[in-house]
Amino acid sequence: MSPTIIGIIGIIVMVIVFLSRMPVAYVMTIVGFLGFSWMISGHAGLALLSRNIYEVFSSYGLTTIPLFILMGQLAFNSGISRRIYDTAYKYLGSTRGGLAMATVSACTAFGAVCGSSPATAATMATVGLPEMKRYNYADELAAGSVASGGGLGMIMPPSVVLIVYGVLTEQSIGKLFVAGIFPAILVTLLFIIAIYIRCYITPEQGPPGETFSWKERIRSLVYLGETLAVFILVMGGLFVGLFTPTEAAAVGVFGVLAVSFIRRQLTWQGFVKSLFETLRTSCMVMLLIAGATVFGKFLAVTRIPFNVASWIGGFDLPPFVIMAIIIFVYFVGGCFMDALAFVMLTIPIFFPVVTSLGYDPIWFGIIIVMVTEMGVITPPVGINVYVVYGVAERVVGGISLESIFKGILPFLVAVIVGLIILIVLPQIILFLPNLMY
Amino acid sequence: MHAFEKIIGWISDKLKVAGALCLAGMTLLTCVDVVGRFFRHPIFGSVELVSFMATLAVAMALPYTHQVKGHIGVEILVRMFSDRTQAIIDLCTAILSLFLFAIITWRMTVYAHTIQDAGELSISLKFPEYLIIYAVAFCLLIFTLIIIQDIRETIGKLKTK
Repeated sequence: MSPTIIGIIGIIVMVIVFLSRMPVAYVMTIVGFLGFSWMISGHAGLALLSRNIYEVFSSYGLTTIPLFILMGQLAFNSGISRRIYDTAYKYLGSTRGGLAMATVSACTAFGAVCGSSPATAATMATVGLPEMKRYNYADELAAGSVASGGGLGMIMPPSVVLIVYGVLTEQSIGKLFVAGIFPAILVTLLFIIAIYIRCYITPEQGPPGETFSWKERIRSLVYLGETLAVFILVMGGLFVGLFTPTEAAAVGVFGVLAVSFIRRQLTWQGFVKSLFETLRTSCMVMLLIAGATVFGKFLAVTRIPFNVASWIGGFDLPPFVIMAIIIFVYFVGGCFMDALAFVMLTIPIFFPVVTSLGYDPIWFGIIIVMVTEMGVITPPVGINVYVVYGVAERVVGGISLESIFKGILPFLVAVIVGLIILIVLPQIILFLPNLMY
Repeated sequence: MHAFEKIIGWISDKLKVAGALCLAGMTLLTCVDVVGRFFRHPIFGSVELVSFMATLAVAMALPYTHQVKGHIGVEILVRMFSDRTQAIIDLCTAILSLFLFAIITWRMTVYAHTIQDAGELSISLKFPEYLIIYAVAFCLLIFTLIIIQDIRETIGKLKTK
């Protein structure tokens, strides 16, 4: 049997086992191990298993993951989100749909200290939904803005998906991070425009809230200043090469802790909870990476990634058509599977194709995150939708899933527009990283 | 069997706390190193120490993460089945997981032994790294025992239905 056929059998078996809800990380490890053993030898497979897992666990490059997750968890448990929201609210609240605009802006600002999309959605849903309810916002707009805004947490650095992408493709995490800043701001602006248009067509979706004096507005900036200071310290340090990503993350943790300490908003319980939550998420991510590495080794010996690259090359299609197909695959995949797991699974296959077409790996990383961002808000698996659904039940007595999915539509259009802009104008992504080192 | 569950639960809980301490430790150490470097006094071997602590933190979190179902799975199809069918599928996947992690535990122990025999030490600190690998193997063992406990519970569930 040819190596490629064995590889294809492996992939089919893996997809079937995925459907049994067995953890994705376990399935990738087991299929990778059995496939590698079949192709090379049982002994080689066994050696691969222990060595690979230990190497992933002990890799210094990956220590940045638990630290950035901890930074986000501490921000989550210390009320930073509330203050960011209040500031955005004072500026935007008085316009039509202004509360929803404040919510997506606050999501971006919170994303600057938190690297996870569901965590950003959960935080902002807790803070933003009750406010929007109070001002009689339609459920659709309220829930749609928090669920979609949560995805901004993933594009705005630090971002766990970008770290994993950087590690798997050996790209600079610092460059990937700074590359995400402008696209995140672009998507935020597009979201604000989408809200504006939505409320222009049906004003009852988002009636205006109260107006604040400029004195109050300027005073509220102090609260944003703290978060901004932490962000500038972390990203600035990375940008000028002062810190490694691990060091930047540790400094970020310290910064968030200092802010929460000064504001006296982090309880001991909150601190311990952050540590345990971080352990859980980090363990999940690290085991996924270990699984993806074992599976990637198997794919490499089957030569599937190379064959796919040369097969696609043989069609003689224009590169942008191939890119469109890849983006479509990510979009569909993201609808059924968690963004992070799907990125890890497909990178070994698509990355060689993309680089052989001459696309910039940093640019592709941001594009992938943008596409998977659509995945987290589209049915049937859209994780942010379920997160917001869960939080809404607790804070505003429930919003139907149907309303949330309906509310997401304008934002989905905005992300697609953003994606097209970034494909046509890659400089928006590459401008900042090209200035580095 | 009740005592067995209690002991495993107790160890898993202590591992979780130890993992959290490692996490806090690696954060603190990295920060102190950054500040130290600023004053031209970096901490010798901090990269190795941070890697060791991160390794231990993740390994120690293995049983806890499995217990709280912290791993990502594709739920979409299984959710449509009856409770009994779901339990049968869970039993099959748990047995598969047991097979996988029992092998990984065994191989990790063998790997630690190989490194010990070779007398390998870490580059900067000359620390015997096999001790960390043995610790990872121990965490994997506890994790494997928790999967066995899972299987027992699922069988119990199937019997009552």
